[in-house]
Amino acid sequence: MIAVQHLTKRFGRQTAVDDLTFEVRVGEVLGFLGPNGAGKTTTMRMITGYLPATSGKVSIDGFDLIDHPLDVKRRIGYLQENPPLYPELTVRRYLEFVAEIKDVPARRRAAQVDRAIDRVNLGEVRDKRIAKLSKGFKQRVGLAQAIVHEPPVLILDEPTSSLDPKQRAEVRDLIAELRGDHTVVLSTHILPEVSQIADRVFILNRGQVMAVDTPARLAERLRGREMVIVEVQMPQSAADSHQSSVVSRQSSVDSRQSSVVSRQSSVDSQQVALAREAFEAIPGVSHVVVDPSSGPNLHVRIESAPGTDVRGDVAALVAARGWRLLGLKNESLSLEEIFLELTKDEP
Amino acid sequence: MRHAFAIAKRELRSYFVSPIAYMAMTMFVFLSGAFFSNMVVYYVRQAMLADRQIEQIARSDLQLDVPSVILGEFFKNEAFILLLVLPLLTMGLITDERRKGTLELLLTSPIRSAELVAGKFLGAFSMFVIMLLPTLPFYYVLHQGGAWEPGIVAAGYLGLLLVGAAQIGIGLFVSSLCENVLVSAFGTYGILVALSFVDTSASLARSIWADFIQWLSFFYHYVNFSRGVVALGDISYFATYLVFALFLTQRSIEAIRFKRA
Ligand SMILES: Nc1ncnc2c1ncn2[C@@H]1O[C@H](COP(=O)(O)OP(=O)(O)O)[C@@H](O)[C@H]1O
Ligand SMILES: [Mg+2]
Repeated sequence: MIAVQHLTKRFGRQTAVDDLTFEVRVGEVLGFLGPNGAGKTTTMRMITGYLPATSGKVSIDGFDLIDHPLDVKRRIGYLQENPPLYPELTVRRYLEFVAEIKDVPARRRAAQVDRAIDRVNLGEVRDKRIAKLSKGFKQRVGLAQAIVHEPPVLILDEPTSSLDPKQRAEVRDLIAELRGDHTVVLSTHILPEVSQIADRVFILNRGQVMAVDTPARLAERLRGREMVIVEVQMPQSAADSHQSSVVSRQSSVDSRQSSVVSRQSSVDSQQVALAREAFEAIPGVSHVVVDPSSGPNLHVRIESAPGTDVRGDVAALVAARGWRLLGLKNESLSLEEIFLELTKDEP
Repeated sequence: MRHAFAIAKRELRSYFVSPIAYMAMTMFVFLSGAFFSNMVVYYVRQAMLADRQIEQIARSDLQLDVPSVILGEFFKNEAFILLLVLPLLTMGLITDERRKGTLELLLTSPIRSAELVAGKFLGAFSMFVIMLLPTLPFYYVLHQGGAWEPGIVAAGYLGLLLVGAAQIGIGLFVSSLCENVLVSAFGTYGILVALSFVDTSASLARSIWADFIQWLSFFYHYVNFSRGVVALGDISYFATYLVFALFLTQRSIEAIRFKRA
């Protein structure tokens, strides 16, 4: 339904969205999760045709945004971070106007406006000026304008961000009700929220996708873990050039699991396997990722259960093997860093 | 252009609940009425004096055309009043949409930017036409007094519509450049005052430039209408201003997307 290829946006020297590629299937709900400034809004603005992309392609329902902008725009309902309202109009007049500029045929307009009003429970305020409504109601009017032309695609930018917890839950329920009829892309910086609504979550940071997963698996992976980063230098092994097929398969699994975009392995794969096995044998260690970066040194991320500290064991092991320990620090996983930022303003 | 009408309709609706539009309209009607009645009183008195003088020197071939003097002066004044009032109608046209975030709604809707600009212009222009309506009874007064010159009235109104359209076009363009309504209003005042009165500076200098500057001026062209003279050159002068302003507005709206939100 939505296909995005190599979408990039630069503002001057800053890259707000960096080579994003993804597809959203019909009926799917995709969540963008990321701290402020991650590039969520910019991505949505490019998909909706408000911001021209620096490079890359967007197509909706087979229509390319550049070649057929009107066909694309007709198929999208878009709720911005701040709902685009005319406070001086009544709810009904406002929705009639939106229906008109979204090409709803005149004979169907009244019916679709009524339907949108019903779906977001605005019946009691339909003839009130928007200026007089509470924040929660305004947000619902925003949702109503996004669905009034019954678009197949809904793009919702932080639809609950400015609301109190009760209103937030209401809007969340509304979106859950809408999901059946629409393909939805929504953004948030609140993890529990996205996990309640989305089928699939992209974690965005600095314009890049850090991770893709189902909400359940993400939550699982992010649930408190310790991480240690070690840099070691191992003696050059004899079997330099032999690539072990087992190892390379393993490492590809690894990099998918962690979804860390890694460069082509340039380090001796036997060393990699050796290091992995050794560190995995340490008690308490749950996961080892060897980052095959350039140079003769191995960068290894060692995850362990919450509350454990494996630094001592790691150092001892490195010494026992006769490797050289170049660095050892306790660091939170970058995903966790993000997660902390994401969750810190959830009440 | 269907969308343009939707946008114009919405704009009108918003004017009618906006205190500023009412202020502008009240100001326009009040000032027009005040000038009109003053002028009628003044010129009628002058005319009576003049008649008496003519009688005294006993020349019956001299006739004062009081109605056309009154109408000419009246229409000149109207254009000045428009200058005060129209920027109040245009200052928010794009500026407000930007501030409220509704420009993003419009630009992500299946409408062309030309339709958006046309709709905005039509909205403000319709409001301006509505604002002119309360001046119609003035001519009824003249008609009752036997001072009715339909030709001058028609030409005068045509001139007003044209000068108003050009001013609204310029105001619309300025509004598309500004993120603040006050800046938008005063920017428009600045440009309109300059365009209206460049000819006074032109009369000081004598050169080709002077002619050109004079040609640029709104009032230089408008004055003909207030005398009852409708010339194609003057009509196309205002039409050119309008089209150029609308074109620039469209470009400027396209450019907004590239700027900081
Ligand atoms: N119009 C713009 N001009 C310059 N920089 C911008 C503009 N819009 C966004 N940015 C920058 O791009 C980055 C991504 O912003 P945004 O997409 O709004 O993030 P998010 O919605 O995830 O909070 C930020 O660093 C922001 O400052
Ligand atoms: Mg944002």
